[in-house]
Amino acid sequence: MNRFPIVGAALLGAVGLLTGPSIAQQETKQEAKSASGQAKVSPVTQQQLNSADKSSTNFLLTNGNYAQTRFYPAKQIDRDNVKNLHVAWIFQTDVKESLETSPIVVDGVMFVTTSFSHVYALDAKTGEQLWHYNHKMGPITTYCCGPNNRGVQVLGDLVYLATLDSKLIALNAKTGEVVWKTDIADPEQGYSETMAPTVIKDKVLIGTNGGEYGIRGFLRAYDAKTGKLLWNFDTIPEKSVGVWATKDATGRDMHRNIQAEKDQLAKTGDPYQKLGGGVWQNPAVDLATNRIYFVVGNPSPDLDGSIRPGDNLYTDSLVSLDLDTGKYACHFQYIAHDVWDLDAVSPPVLVDVKGKDGKTIPGVIHAGKTGHIYVHDRKDCSLIRFSEAMVPQENMWVLPTKEGARMLPGANGGVEWSPIATDPGQALAYAINLHQPMNYFVENSPYPNGKLWLGGAFKAIPTEKQAGNITAVNYDTGKIKWQVKTPEPMIGGILATAGGLVFTGEGNGKFAAYNSSTGKELWNFRAGAGVNAPPSSYMVGGKQYIVVGAGGNTQVDFHRGNNIIAFSLN
Amino acid sequence: MNRKSNFCIAAAVVLAAFVTLSSTPSSAQSIEEKTKVCAGCHGADGKPVDKTIPTIWGQQAGYIYIELRDFKRGDRKSDIMQPIVASFERQDMLDIAEYFSKKPWPDLGQPRAPKDISARAVTANQSIGCTGCHLDHFQGDGTVPRLAGMGRDYLAKQMTDFRSRARGNNPGMSDLMLATAPDDLAALAEYLAGL
Repeated sequence: MNRFPIVGAALLGAVGLLTGPSIAQQETKQEAKSASGQAKVSPVTQQQLNSADKSSTNFLLTNGNYAQTRFYPAKQIDRDNVKNLHVAWIFQTDVKESLETSPIVVDGVMFVTTSFSHVYALDAKTGEQLWHYNHKMGPITTYCCGPNNRGVQVLGDLVYLATLDSKLIALNAKTGEVVWKTDIADPEQGYSETMAPTVIKDKVLIGTNGGEYGIRGFLRAYDAKTGKLLWNFDTIPEKSVGVWATKDATGRDMHRNIQAEKDQLAKTGDPYQKLGGGVWQNPAVDLATNRIYFVVGNPSPDLDGSIRPGDNLYTDSLVSLDLDTGKYACHFQYIAHDVWDLDAVSPPVLVDVKGKDGKTIPGVIHAGKTGHIYVHDRKDCSLIRFSEAMVPQENMWVLPTKEGARMLPGANGGVEWSPIATDPGQALAYAINLHQPMNYFVENSPYPNGKLWLGGAFKAIPTEKQAGNITAVNYDTGKIKWQVKTPEPMIGGILATAGGLVFTGEGNGKFAAYNSSTGKELWNFRAGAGVNAPPSSYMVGGKQYIVVGAGGNTQVDFHRGNNIIAFSLN
Repeated sequence: MNRKSNFCIAAAVVLAAFVTLSSTPSSAQSIEEKTKVCAGCHGADGKPVDKTIPTIWGQQAGYIYIELRDFKRGDRKSDIMQPIVASFERQDMLDIAEYFSKKPWPDLGQPRAPKDISARAVTANQSIGCTGCHLDHFQGDGTVPRLAGMGRDYLAKQMTDFRSRARGNNPGMSDLMLATAPDDLAALAEYLAGL
């Protein structure tokens, strides 16, 4: 079945463009579709990917480029004209569930994904469907936080997808047919995939979900041509105990009972085999040093630390590896022995930063669920500074109790999986935050063979107001430059552009553009479903577009939809 | 316990004995033969004969498989189910799960919950995030069951059993139920049954 975009007369009439788009659609049909009806996709070269940060026509990687800056260099849409932004087309997918995709655009062809691991190739100019890959899901899926998929990447003629039932798949970019498929891990043991792969130098880099199910996490490289495993890095080393850190990255006491943990260690040994440590989001790649940087999620079980003595390395950490071998280079742990699920999820970003001595050095920054943006030295992962808190923090780090202990932030953050954006010219990082006051409960139970293993519960307090914000942080000083409050918690993602703008959406369906220097709102659109996906930008036929998914969110239960919406100027 | 359920148990025990002692290896049985025993309790038309018995027609295949597996392993206790699944291999359980998942979900004719009960249930869901796993409209997916339209008594009993850990095959659910007040659980059972 062919899917068609909604470009109804009413919609066009509302924006005063009755003739332009229909002509454009005819032109694009010829551009994006070959005579055989297939997608006309140019092979993507490694060179193109390496210089994706300079491309103002394509959007080749989930977070824009290997440094993951989510800073788009096109500036046709700017602070003056953004008020004229209007819907160019809407594509409705077949799946009305949580939508977290980052659209990828290759020479006028767009690739988007949906919940349950569907992939669509669309004409980026018109929204016309070129092909649809409907993954035949295995009967066993075990996943946390929604059946999401965050996107694909293209290298050569192949589109790479990781699926909810933990498979890695290469599709023919022209037709959507499967070229190869490989099993990543056993879903019956709690493994699943929702992240987009990062593909570089014929390697497909992929992590895993499962920190809520007692997995042993990993980051892996597979051969991009064959699907063969090249290397595996266990995010939980056999010696996971660490240094018995008593303070978090910001110097606050975490109230660990080190003696009790040591006694437990003597009794049950190192808990590394079921310790969690998922990798939810893409690694950044430093092309100059051939190193990758990613963050590792929470330990299993989430809230009960009594049965997992030690720092639980490398959970809640920034980790760097050698790209070719997967060999460990350095790490920094934000929260040792986490019992709040305030882990590290939002993808790290490589930017030049001011070091401790004020000199500019290669840095890596990460926005935490704690509500801080952490700034590191790329060489050794050491922490240079952390930002002012972007959300209220109260009662940190009170230990979870059987009756429930109140602490802010709630277990979703701060900054959840949502990628941040940066504007290196202004030394600003833009993050979207949640504010959800929660009680933290602890319970004790043994490993349940791949079942949900929380070790307690985090429970939003119904009588307390939830909210969100968009925050710009100067990563050279750690100071908040501006903040826009939102009525609901924010989850999804954000994009900065050279036009001096940032774009982001809310769970209530609002999608808006803000002045990237001041936070002043300059334009908005009501999408009719939660805009909880990271926006992308691209150019076709000399025209810049902004595109975003509006499908709501499972985790925070925002109104579901199934729309991919592209915007452009007249 | 009513007469219907007594009959269901008696029939199940007899059929279970038949299944266990049958000389026909399970791999040689058709799916209809393998599932014959199920109708005694879960209903020939998909409507369970007793309110404490779950609906399995139209249930998620992954969930049915996991429960059969857990009965076989003894992770989930049931005097009725354990003898029935004792001879099943993994593929049998996957086939049975697939078979029932393809059947239409039956309408048990349960009323919508009153407004105040619904409001309480919705607040409880927002607080512990049931739909984070059971998904929008409580339809379930994969190894997570559909709850919408399930029998109210069954729902109430399962939530209570999770809370007391009498049902021990999902400690994550037990943790969440323990963090929820019994009155909220009762509201959830009524609300979900009426969806």
